[in-house]
Amino acid sequence: MRFFSTLLAAAVALPCLAADVRVPFEKYKLNNGLRVILSRDASVPVVSIYVLYGVGARSEEKGRTGFAHLFEHMMFQGSANAPKGMHFKTVESNGGSLNGSTHPDFTDYYETLPANKLAVGLWLEADRMRSLAITQENLDNQKEAVKQERRLNFDNRPYNTAIVDKWPEVAFGNWQSSHSIIGSFEDLNAASVDDVAKFFKTYYAPNNAVLCVVGDLNPAEAKKWIEMYFGDIPPQPQPKHPDLTEPADRSPRSEVYRDPHARVPAVIVGYPGPKRRSPDFYALWMADVLLSGGDSSRLQQSLVKGKQSVIQYEANLGWPFAGPADYQDPAVYAVFALHNPNFTGKQIVDQLQEEFDKLGAAPVEAKELERARTFLRAARIKELQSTMARARLLAQHEYFDGDPGVLSTEIDRALAVSSAQIQAAAKKYLTAGKRAVLTIVPAPKAPAKEGQ
Amino acid sequence: MRRVVMFFLGAAVAVCGQDVDRSKPPETPPLGAFKLPAMAETTLPNGLTVVTVRDERFPLVTARLAFGAGSRFDPKNQPGLAEAVAALLTEGTKSRKSRQIAEEAAEIGGSLSGSATPDALVIAGSALSEHTARLLALMADVARYASFPADEVALYKQNRKQALLAQRSESSYLANEKIEEIVFGDHPYARQHPTPESIDALTPETLAQFRDRLLAPNNAVLILIGKLPPPGALRKLLEARFGDWPTRGVPPVPAAPLPEPKRSITLVDRPGSVQADVHVGRLGLTRRDPEFFPLLVGNTVLGGGTSSRLFNHIREEKGYAYSVYSYNEAHRDAALFSAAMQVRNEVVEDATRSLLAEMKRMAAEPVTADELSATKNYLSGNFVIRLQSQEALAAQIVNLKTMGLANDYLEMYTTRVRSTEPDQILKVARKVIAPDHAAIVVVGDAQKIKPALEKFGAVQVTPAR
Repeated sequence: MRFFSTLLAAAVALPCLAADVRVPFEKYKLNNGLRVILSRDASVPVVSIYVLYGVGARSEEKGRTGFAHLFEHMMFQGSANAPKGMHFKTVESNGGSLNGSTHPDFTDYYETLPANKLAVGLWLEADRMRSLAITQENLDNQKEAVKQERRLNFDNRPYNTAIVDKWPEVAFGNWQSSHSIIGSFEDLNAASVDDVAKFFKTYYAPNNAVLCVVGDLNPAEAKKWIEMYFGDIPPQPQPKHPDLTEPADRSPRSEVYRDPHARVPAVIVGYPGPKRRSPDFYALWMADVLLSGGDSSRLQQSLVKGKQSVIQYEANLGWPFAGPADYQDPAVYAVFALHNPNFTGKQIVDQLQEEFDKLGAAPVEAKELERARTFLRAARIKELQSTMARARLLAQHEYFDGDPGVLSTEIDRALAVSSAQIQAAAKKYLTAGKRAVLTIVPAPKAPAKEGQ
Repeated sequence: MRRVVMFFLGAAVAVCGQDVDRSKPPETPPLGAFKLPAMAETTLPNGLTVVTVRDERFPLVTARLAFGAGSRFDPKNQPGLAEAVAALLTEGTKSRKSRQIAEEAAEIGGSLSGSATPDALVIAGSALSEHTARLLALMADVARYASFPADEVALYKQNRKQALLAQRSESSYLANEKIEEIVFGDHPYARQHPTPESIDALTPETLAQFRDRLLAPNNAVLILIGKLPPPGALRKLLEARFGDWPTRGVPPVPAAPLPEPKRSITLVDRPGSVQADVHVGRLGLTRRDPEFFPLLVGNTVLGGGTSSRLFNHIREEKGYAYSVYSYNEAHRDAALFSAAMQVRNEVVEDATRSLLAEMKRMAAEPVTADELSATKNYLSGNFVIRLQSQEALAAQIVNLKTMGLANDYLEMYTTRVRSTEPDQILKVARKVIAPDHAAIVVVGDAQKIKPALEKFGAVQVTPAR
């Protein structure tokens, strides 16, 4: 939908995969356990470097919320040979762009550079993996930056607090999954240099990371540099995976959030999803394409157009933090719908449920399914145009599936889903009995009068 | 579907750890030359300009049909007309219903949508390359035969009003809306956004009139990028879909004198704001201005990216803001230059002082050699990185065609960035970046931040819309 491109910070990638574009790669492991993926594409003289660490908000302990994200900030504060400010400066003054992001199950750091600057990017990434500068000054400064980020993106904007802080509480029963990804001011204030140093040692080890490089590279040279810079960073004991088991009781639940900045009402509905890459996963993925993929989708045609009740929506396996590529169970399939205020939140929830029930009640017609398949295929090809998107997806599939090649094979499994499988998955997963609902009600303060 | 996957277990090349010098970034070879994919341009007899870029890397085609028909063509009491026309072109034609258009777009692995900028109305389409003919048929249909069905117009109005409410709940939207009004004065660039009243006033007739007045082949450029049919076959397709589209006289481009920049302080009251959006802006420079590139480089030193002065002084050193930047938003005939930040209420005064000081410093002393070379590399490198996708290249070509730039603009971009000198930056900074005549617009909680702003002069308070 055109008018909402800036509405949500957590923009959701299209749920899709491609049959016509295969991404070649080689994969190997350094002696310290660092997993490396290289993929050569010399069509444009750029390289993308993507480093994924196996730590996210769901790795956090009680009293330590926001650590994964605070740490993402710390990673830009300097290391032994690249002091504060040098990371940004080095990448940008060499013509590149960079960023990092925090997710429930991983944290990533990435840069795209002119192809001749690959060694510089690898040098930078290795230096902070080896020797991050964890000082009181940097920590205090970044605590403030994170608070500022919260004020900007959450406390001062509509919907984001509901989506990022409240929705996980409604959707999940296990604290590991339900606590806020950005954390509380209290926990951030309490973070000490020792806490942060321990976090770094535990999680930011080469054996807990994946390094992926895609672009105009010479593989022999790239391997030489990777060994040179990363090869002797010491490994650490493999961190334990948190217990993410959801409580057995999945009774439906529903909560209301009064949003001081929102002016248009919204609802979020979600359902516990299947195991990653199980047959049901692909079936629900295709169900989502039928429901929410493009202007011909069911939610668009029956709710936005037909009933004229929903104004705009987003949906995904793992919404709002993930899509099919980085979905990790336990997770929910969720729909966010901004709606016409002439309808109540309950009416919208009922209408959404009616669509899900319809999908479970009757097989999808061949023509509609074929259209959804084409949509999915094309969307993935578009996505794969950039070297960074390929680097991200290869690394994520290595991390979650132990095989970057899944990037090229997933599409076949999604496209092979039958009408009957979609119907069965909708019936099994998208039922009112397993539903979580968050209703977002506008509760603005009144503006002052005009004048001097 | 066969693919070869090689697994290398263990390190392929052994290197001795102790010989490695990690103390500084490695030396690197110079970057090889890179040429943008070639752009070919032709004009059909009816005046439709066609630009093609052949790019065989992906089985995709990206198309843009751009008209000189942006929001500046909206009548004064009808802001939002161009964007409404753009949005509703794809909601029904003489031969296709809205749903049919959506289904056909999905069937060809594509998308089809309309949007409006201040200068242009753009129909954007894409498809798997095997469906290029169907994509062109769809685009021609919506461009030429949109029917603006009454029910679709009614739904658009209803949803657009709600969308506007949602947009206005974002402080950054309110800030942009206000600073455009102040900086562009009576010029049509001041009216880029609809109002609830102007949305209410939309009718199928006003929409069709706008289309009939402005959507003519001689007022358009068609851009096609990707794995295209061979030239002869493509020409035939274009003739079939667009060849009999009659040429039409189009009205002159609306304009008005631009106001002299002058200092004013406007506070848009948004009760409950925990932060203030501060914008300091004035007229900037268009891309056709001979000083555009010095301003581009100077602006980047000041507030582009994470190596910029604003990012380092206001975010990293002072911790006033998470987001702080500056920009020169160039339209065809005028531009908005602005520095902007979002700061917590308690530091509005200090942060604004720092922001103004950094703008002044740009006009007082030349940028350093280090800053200059780093910024040139940044702009040139990112220029290539950003052109990786068909969509990004299409956006650049739409810009150059709708802003009246020469076809070599993209090719010359890097050279022009690289040839910028410090004294050119200083000169343009005195003219554009110096904040003495810039308007200050702040969106925030008036109760909390008005006294801080009054330190800078008289404050006009206006309620958030």
